[in-house]
Amino acid sequence: MIVTTAAANKESLLKRLDGMRQIPTIPAVLAPLLHYLEQPVEQVDVHTVADLIAQDKSLAAQCLQMANSPLFGRSQKAESLRGAIVGLGIHRVSDIAMSCSVLNLLPAKNGGIDPIVFWEHSLGCALVCRRFARKINFADPGKAYLAGLLHDLGVIVNLWALPQEFRGAYEVAREEGIPLHEAEQKVLGFTHCDSGGLLAERWELPPDLVEVVAYHHAPQQSVNHTALVTLVELSDLLCRMTGLNYGYVEKRQVNLLEEPGFAALARQCPPLKNFDWARLTFELDSYMDEVHTLVRSIYRS
Amino acid sequence: MITAPLESAAIEGAPDAELVRIRDLVYQVAGIFHPDNKLRLLLDRCGRRMKELKTNTLHEYLECLTVKPIRQKELIALLNEITIGETCFFRNQPQLDALRQIVMPKIMEAKAPLPVRHLRFWSAGCSTGEEPYTLSMLLLEESDARLKDWIVEIVATDLNERSLAHAKIAVYGSYSTRNLPPHYRQKYFAPLGDQLQLGPPARSAVNFSRANLADHDSPPFTNGVDVIFCCNVLIYFDLASKRRVIQSFYRDLLPHGYLFLGHSESLYGVSDDFRLVHFPGATAYVKGERPPEGRQ
Repeated sequence: MIVTTAAANKESLLKRLDGMRQIPTIPAVLAPLLHYLEQPVEQVDVHTVADLIAQDKSLAAQCLQMANSPLFGRSQKAESLRGAIVGLGIHRVSDIAMSCSVLNLLPAKNGGIDPIVFWEHSLGCALVCRRFARKINFADPGKAYLAGLLHDLGVIVNLWALPQEFRGAYEVAREEGIPLHEAEQKVLGFTHCDSGGLLAERWELPPDLVEVVAYHHAPQQSVNHTALVTLVELSDLLCRMTGLNYGYVEKRQVNLLEEPGFAALARQCPPLKNFDWARLTFELDSYMDEVHTLVRSIYRS
Repeated sequence: MITAPLESAAIEGAPDAELVRIRDLVYQVAGIFHPDNKLRLLLDRCGRRMKELKTNTLHEYLECLTVKPIRQKELIALLNEITIGETCFFRNQPQLDALRQIVMPKIMEAKAPLPVRHLRFWSAGCSTGEEPYTLSMLLLEESDARLKDWIVEIVATDLNERSLAHAKIAVYGSYSTRNLPPHYRQKYFAPLGDQLQLGPPARSAVNFSRANLADHDSPPFTNGVDVIFCCNVLIYFDLASKRRVIQSFYRDLLPHGYLFLGHSESLYGVSDDFRLVHFPGATAYVKGERPPEGRQ
């Protein structure tokens, strides 16, 4: 019975998405960048990456602003995209470009939901994912960053597709202090994982990222990429328990070690067995300040 | 062609290598962590000590903390600087919110089936009393509501007799009361000269005793507590003493109990028996599944 309802909901969601005139299309820079960066690192060229990003002038300007933030390792101010790439490296600047391009999809402030907090949460989560990945020797910290950045793609879909209904769900989450996906399930009958999963498939994102988007609130359902999905889930939880939340406080206790998928991640990353969670938590303080400053300055300009 | 990304983002790297080494030393020895955005504060604290010692560079000061014969004494002096002014009413609001909104309902649910409805809190290392009195006021606020049929007990201990004497008189200056919300100031305090004195209702709910946490056996009146607050106290203990204290906390806490430490204070490397849990803007420790006996 429940399965039928869920399937019906998903079916109806699919129909609604199909019927949407303005379904978010994959940002112009995302696919070519992802594709270009798949080749061996020795063959990746500064000029090509800079040209790819520079096709979108406002994106290029945002990238430069972000590249000059302490969050991305600014040592001296870069005046151009190429300068930023020379200073920070191709992958770091590509991360920045992909971040801006995806987060620009968030609709402007719409009746009580501030896109800034989703920007902050997504960017914060991306940074925490990369930091966490490095600390536990996860094989691909760059992938972890991207996964953290994209994990809430479904929130963007919901904001576009069902702004009124999503606002209702968000209000319930805020008033009851419960996780957003639980409120969405109550109010909409599906979550941003469902809608995000559909969009990620439609955008033909790599399978591991599709799983992150679709299962980051239920890593046990992940088929082939449980470790990455769990890494994002834990980082997301840490962000939501700090100031990098969705703009409201979830009144709950979280025990990260008891999260489903933890064992799978620990098998792949042995340092996790004796991990200093307290230190990572305290370190987030710095991210919080920097992310707030950066996102607000991007929005101001 | 440039291929190698710069790995050390500023936020992940060091504004000043010596300062980061001092930060890591303080964390390793005392369990207090200064994130990058608080390094300026740490620098300021080091600066005060450097002035005292007439050292000019962080490099020299790091030597005072690590290789010179005064290192142990100096580390304690630095820790004193770090925790100075930490004691005040409503010091850690997210921690108090977690207690009220999340921890207490869980504990009350766990104890609901028991014949006697009894809640016990222990402020371990209570200094001049701000922490247990904050608790006392918070709990009094609920005495006619959800705590109506509950007996609430707050035990507060400290090693220092003078601090305890101060706590019992309960007279506080503006620094201690800087975070005190107006509601509590008006309801529970009375002016005494240019200071404030806590009134009898909130005072009488707290039982003060002298106790040394480093003693092998914890005092009998701390057995079977629901919540322990031990903020910025363990930082002064060596590792063996810390482990002993934590083991006794483990024994004293009821199975559903919680241990709260100071802001940015960690038990990493001290105890495997407790599990870190997260609340919005705060952390605490709960008892793990394994019993502590026979393990260090």
